[in-house]
Amino acid sequence: MRRLVLLMIVLVGLALMLQQPKLLAQGQFMANTLMPPVPIPADNPQTDAKIRLGAQLYFDTRLSADSTISCATCHDPRTGWANHGKTDTGIAGQVGGRNSGTIINSAYMRYQFWDGRAPSLEAQALGPIHNPIEMGETLENVVVKLNAIPGYVEQFQEVFGTDVTTDGIAKAIASFERTIISGPSPYDLHLMGDDSQWTSAAERGRDLFNGKAHCSTCHSGPMFSDQSFHNLGVGFDGENPNSGRFNETNDPADFGRFKTPTLRNIALTYPYLHTGSEQTLMDVVDFYNRGGIQNDNLDLLMFPLALTQQEKEDLVAFMESLTGTIPEVPIPTFPEGPGLPADPGGGLR
Amino acid sequence: MSIKTLFLLMLAPLVLVTLLPSKASAIPVFARKYGFECTMCHSTYPRLNDFGQRFRMNGYQLPGMETLEKDITETSVPVAIRTSAGYNNDNFDSTQTSNVDVNEFQVNGVDILAGGLIGPDIGFMFVYPPEINSSRGVAGQNGAIESANVIFSNLGSTWFNIRAGKFEPAYVAFSNKRHLSISPYEIYDFTFPGGPAFSDNQVGVEFTGWGRDGFRYAFGILDGSETNGSDTAPSDYYVRAAYVFGPGEGQTAGQRIGVTGYFGQAKPLASWQETDMSEQSFDRWGVDASFNVEQWNLALQYLRSNDSSELWNFSGNVPYSGGFAEVTYTPTIKFAGFTRYDWVNASSILGDITRWTVGGRYYIEDNMALHLEWSRRNESDLSGSDINETLWTARLDFAI
Repeated sequence: MRRLVLLMIVLVGLALMLQQPKLLAQGQFMANTLMPPVPIPADNPQTDAKIRLGAQLYFDTRLSADSTISCATCHDPRTGWANHGKTDTGIAGQVGGRNSGTIINSAYMRYQFWDGRAPSLEAQALGPIHNPIEMGETLENVVVKLNAIPGYVEQFQEVFGTDVTTDGIAKAIASFERTIISGPSPYDLHLMGDDSQWTSAAERGRDLFNGKAHCSTCHSGPMFSDQSFHNLGVGFDGENPNSGRFNETNDPADFGRFKTPTLRNIALTYPYLHTGSEQTLMDVVDFYNRGGIQNDNLDLLMFPLALTQQEKEDLVAFMESLTGTIPEVPIPTFPEGPGLPADPGGGLR
Repeated sequence: MSIKTLFLLMLAPLVLVTLLPSKASAIPVFARKYGFECTMCHSTYPRLNDFGQRFRMNGYQLPGMETLEKDITETSVPVAIRTSAGYNNDNFDSTQTSNVDVNEFQVNGVDILAGGLIGPDIGFMFVYPPEINSSRGVAGQNGAIESANVIFSNLGSTWFNIRAGKFEPAYVAFSNKRHLSISPYEIYDFTFPGGPAFSDNQVGVEFTGWGRDGFRYAFGILDGSETNGSDTAPSDYYVRAAYVFGPGEGQTAGQRIGVTGYFGQAKPLASWQETDMSEQSFDRWGVDASFNVEQWNLALQYLRSNDSSELWNFSGNVPYSGGFAEVTYTPTIKFAGFTRYDWVNASSILGDITRWTVGGRYYIEDNMALHLEWSRRNESDLSGSDINETLWTARLDFAI
């Protein structure tokens, strides 16, 4: 009997050892897979014409009330398709309440906006247009303005078979945003067996990321995001912290929770957190190292981490290794029409 | 089993670790399930950090992420193996007997572990050290199940959880199963003849609860001290309350204080025919604290006991006390150092015990540590004689 038990031990041990790489790859919270193909909704297939139209709309300031703001104003291709301001300034100098997230790889995110109020890129695309602080326009007026521009009407007819509609605007912008996908990062190349850009610091950082630093519980999967919402206590050291996901659900447990952002290309999209309160990746690591900010809804897995300076630097090195090649998109030529002309600079500041 | 067979048994996984092309990352049950490094839950294996402690309290589920959890039918094989092997130099120096020096390479047992979720909020833990006969170079173990328990978590809220079966009770403030040193916590092991060590796993049912405010409680009803044939199970019960200041569980973050009371009944050794052989009472009262500053932890335990005289075959009740103060330094995930002073003040029974322990662990991988430890134990009995034990040990401790 004892021999049988020992034999079983050996066999199980050997089986585990031999399966090790496969089993590790199956780990539920591992961020060790390459990005899958871009998910395309069945009711909004990608076409070249639609993507071209979407690019024009994305950069066209005429979608805003005073023709000064385009999508690109806050989601600027020169700054990681995000913005380096803590929060952004919309029409008439109004200051928004949250940091602009990148649109790079946003096609992979289940929820859009920090509070996840948009379930798709299509739903997201219209939000800033009629946000009174951001572009300050009504959707009805945008449709009227664009229908007065023959070049847009012609393209909408070609793409959707209709005049300009809000649905068409949303679908075209979403289609364009689905093309803003980053290429392989040094970490991706490492996963593919190419260590030419992989460093020992990044390697150590990766181990900390999946271990002592507790990052991968939330920053998991190919997008380094669990596509969920968490309370880190951001803003709870001040008055009236933003209620985050609670705005959408009215669930008290969601108060102060915000979407887990992707960490791909994170080095490009400073400052960080929904308030833009942390300027550098090291600042963010320090924030986590302190255990976030105490509040009644603080995530139960937020603790002070006791990271050393070297460990913090290694974590930063790993996050920097997640920067892939970024698509370069020229500012398109805009169709002419009545009223204010489009900013040929695409609304970039 | 021959020593050759056992060494081959130990060697096979090591050879495979060496040959495997990928990094020997965290392997054991939970790390494999989630794809985490061991250091997600262990400050350095096997010592739990706050994340691991809270994971355990939550019934082997990630707190706040219960809806994402997979049960054992959806995950990899929930089995792990832990063992250690190395060199010991154990020197016994007594004022009454000649010096004894034991030098040996030794394999120090094997544990088979399984754990996971049976379903939502229903976790389990199973630890079985298979029977191994003690022989030259091999530490024996009797093959008894060490842990086999089910935990029902979040019954309404985190304030109500039930663990049933054989388990490590929550009154053990500092786990004797997951501390870094080889040398035991003396006060946990000190008990009446035939009695259970305070830190032994127990059979019974335990109710626990915890909240965001830092308060934790535990209450248990246990079979308890069945060692001498006690037959009135369940006969023991315990209560514990703890409070954590700041975020954490007091493992590596936050500052924790706790109090424990244990009330038991046991029979004296059957060989003491002249004593009252009915169930006799004993109790333990303890206070503990765990303080953390950056990479440093200070663990303090004081335990006071009061045993019925029949359990010691003495006249009058038998009080004794003891505790330990332990400092652990974990500058990186690659190294942990520790030192501890243990004492037992049992001058009315046997004498006093003191122990100094100093050690360090270097982690080749986070599931494989080189362990070096020195420990000196002094036991002075009532006759005035001293027994000094000095232990040097160097081991490879690993789990797969």
